[in-house]
Amino acid sequence: MNGRYLLRRVVQVPPTVLGILVIAFLLVHLAPGDPILALAGANGDEAYYAEMRAKFGLDRPLPEQLAIFVVNLIRFDLGTSYVQGRPAIDVILERLPSTMLLTVSALAVASVVGVALGLFAAGRANRRSDLTVSILTLGLHATPSFWLAQAAVLVLGLWAGWFPISGMTSARTPPAGLGLVVDVAHHLILPVLVLAATEMAVIARLTRVRLLEELSRDYVRTARAKGVSERRVLWRHALPCALIPVVTVIGGRVGHLVAGAVLVEAVFGWPGIGRLLLTSVQSRDLPIVLGILLVIASTVIVANIVTDLIYVRLDPRIRFG
Amino acid sequence: MMSRVPLAVILVGLVAGACGVTASPSPTGASGRPSGSPSSPPASEAPTGGGGGTLVVAISADPGHLNPAITTSGATHTAAELIFNGLVGLDENLEPVPELAESWTIDNDGAQYTFKLRDGVTWHDGTPFTSADVKFTFEEVLLKLHARTRSSVGPVLDGIDTPDAQTVVFRFKQPYAPLLRQLDVTEAPILPKHIYQGSDPAKNPANAAPVGTGPFAFESYTPDSEIRLKRNDTYWAPALPKLDEVVMRVIPESGSQVIALEAGEVDWIWGVPGPDEARLDADPEVELLRTDRNPGGSNCIMTMSFNFDKPILQDVRVRQAIAHAIDRQQIVDKILFGQGRVATAPISSGIGWAHADDIVLPAFDPTAAMAMLDQAGWKAGADGMRIAAGVTGVADGTPLALDFLHFPTFARYGELLRSELGAVGIELTLEPLEPPVFAETVFTKRDFDTNVISYCNGPDPEIGVRRMFDSAQIGPVPFSNAAGYRDSAVDALFTQAQQTVGNEARGKIYGRIQQTVAAAQPYVWLVETSGVRAYRLPCQGFQPYAQFAEAATCAP
Repeated sequence: MNGRYLLRRVVQVPPTVLGILVIAFLLVHLAPGDPILALAGANGDEAYYAEMRAKFGLDRPLPEQLAIFVVNLIRFDLGTSYVQGRPAIDVILERLPSTMLLTVSALAVASVVGVALGLFAAGRANRRSDLTVSILTLGLHATPSFWLAQAAVLVLGLWAGWFPISGMTSARTPPAGLGLVVDVAHHLILPVLVLAATEMAVIARLTRVRLLEELSRDYVRTARAKGVSERRVLWRHALPCALIPVVTVIGGRVGHLVAGAVLVEAVFGWPGIGRLLLTSVQSRDLPIVLGILLVIASTVIVANIVTDLIYVRLDPRIRFG
Repeated sequence: MMSRVPLAVILVGLVAGACGVTASPSPTGASGRPSGSPSSPPASEAPTGGGGGTLVVAISADPGHLNPAITTSGATHTAAELIFNGLVGLDENLEPVPELAESWTIDNDGAQYTFKLRDGVTWHDGTPFTSADVKFTFEEVLLKLHARTRSSVGPVLDGIDTPDAQTVVFRFKQPYAPLLRQLDVTEAPILPKHIYQGSDPAKNPANAAPVGTGPFAFESYTPDSEIRLKRNDTYWAPALPKLDEVVMRVIPESGSQVIALEAGEVDWIWGVPGPDEARLDADPEVELLRTDRNPGGSNCIMTMSFNFDKPILQDVRVRQAIAHAIDRQQIVDKILFGQGRVATAPISSGIGWAHADDIVLPAFDPTAAMAMLDQAGWKAGADGMRIAAGVTGVADGTPLALDFLHFPTFARYGELLRSELGAVGIELTLEPLEPPVFAETVFTKRDFDTNVISYCNGPDPEIGVRRMFDSAQIGPVPFSNAAGYRDSAVDALFTQAQQTVGNEARGKIYGRIQQTVAAAQPYVWLVETSGVRAYRLPCQGFQPYAQFAEAATCAP
């Protein structure tokens, strides 16, 4: 059953992505702001603008532009970046690894630390340590990430001098080999902490609440009455049930992470697609904008499918048909 | 994005280049460059420079590519100008000095320019530089793809001749005075013919790995991260450059750039946000360099435009009343944090020979403003706001309410102007629009009452001033004649100035133009903005613009 379900979900992906992109195409083309004006800037003459429009096919009627876009998309051709004059897909793929490194690390840190904190707090419900965790996570949840990023840069980067402030590698002495790995990891720590902070807080709070809910249920009382150890009650009985909505939330946070990456990449000078999206929207570099939307839409859809599959592992009662 | 964004971003906005002439001229005098002496030694015999270490520069945007001849983008020019040269450079007074051309003569009353090229210059790949490179670059690249050079030089150029490998002749259809200020690395960087010939210059792979003649040669480019340049060991200027390496780091946010400078991660930043200036000034390891040049343009004036299509604004008394209602010193103090000065004429004081010093622009005088509005038929209502009572073309009872379009980065101008105009009974509605939308709304749709624009005059009024007043330049080209001002006498004077050779004679014509437009008040010239660079010791020896690091060193 699950195999067929999976197949059906996977088959649904291309039309969903295509639909999202067609809507996005219309949105970015109908939005005010002429890409040629953004590209050519202060000067130029009318003939120059007309030439540039023709060069990028922007002089054609919108339905025709859309048709060309869809046909090219089916052939995995996103078009040429207006600004860079290179295939948009190349530009995006160049930046994708650094964003993946950032977001996957942040998701891993947020999930592990979040669930651990939730477990810790639920196990000490309403005691002082629980309260401390609650205040901490509430604070982190409420803190805007751009403020947190600036604070982290000022305190941990500038004053303490523990971490580099900007970029992915050191500028002065470019390392190679193992040194490069260490250098990138060193540059990765601050942005990952900032990006993970909000997600971690959400996951920790949810885990705690869900665990407490499960711990008050009848089956837990039964287990305890049977003499099952408290540790086993927590880990084997309550946690798997409590984690189902947590997994949903983690899956759903993938989109948030990418959005958060736009901000964090800007503050830390991290060369990823978040920043590329920002500058491409500003310069109306539509092939790049649409390409990044394609990447983000696919990521969120895949994350949802993976989430559904993890449900099944966590809860044997769930079967998709 | 940051807590201090509204202030910090003003500079970034100025630098953004969308509204400016990217005119950052080339190095000069202080660098000890040979000034056109026919006996300048070939590069191979030049004393060796080097030993200056590595300079790390913060840049605020990824350039996308490194070919400054196919774009006017400030991001590309900031990152790539060190790799290239123009035929001439511009000194601190914006006067031309020899660069790839070591001398020139002007004939036919300014309709023909003959350039003698420097001997022994080679491209970074070792190929000799010749007149064919110049002709090719103009004909196949600049006059097609460099928006400014194409629209200014293109229509008047008759042809380019190369009688021999060291001589280039520009022939014009009529005398053309501004040429020498349009041949620097910003307006006309020279590309290698042997690399671009037979290709689409916009898509040539060399755009991401350029070959130039400049002081630094391309080494590597990691998009959105860094650009590494190494010393050009065969540079034509003796003993230059001194630095061994220049690394450009992309740090988008100006607050982050300041912190990176303080932490020693970078050695040079192009702009210091006003609120950070005092702190950096007090830092013993940081030096500041004040200049009127910005990577996005030089000699910029923050300018409020009046839309002449709107009946309310067709009365010069209303325009003058608005000018009187604005306290421009407040802008210098509260918005620019001292990084600028009150404008005193329609042409920037940075172009000394063209700037009129005998003009009195309306001073801050709310009483005079209110009297003028009364005279113009705008009477104060019960709440002090003005209402039309007998104004031509406006129904009685219409409130004096105007919109004010601005880039989000210029929001503080809107806030200040709204309160100052409110004090004399004019209601200003702020409409922040991001640059591409602003350009479309103001210049294509012409759907606005007033706005604020950073108009950069550039090194010559022909480049950045004429567009504001020329009746042939009312839309759809952005950052042209926003007011929609039309005066055939002014049009004729601009053409006369374009064809008159000699600063003094041209300056007189620009003086008459400024008298006329100051009286007509299509704009309020608010403030001339300046920039503040900052660098970390022991690095020193910088110019504030273009090939800023040519003579710099970071050796202790």
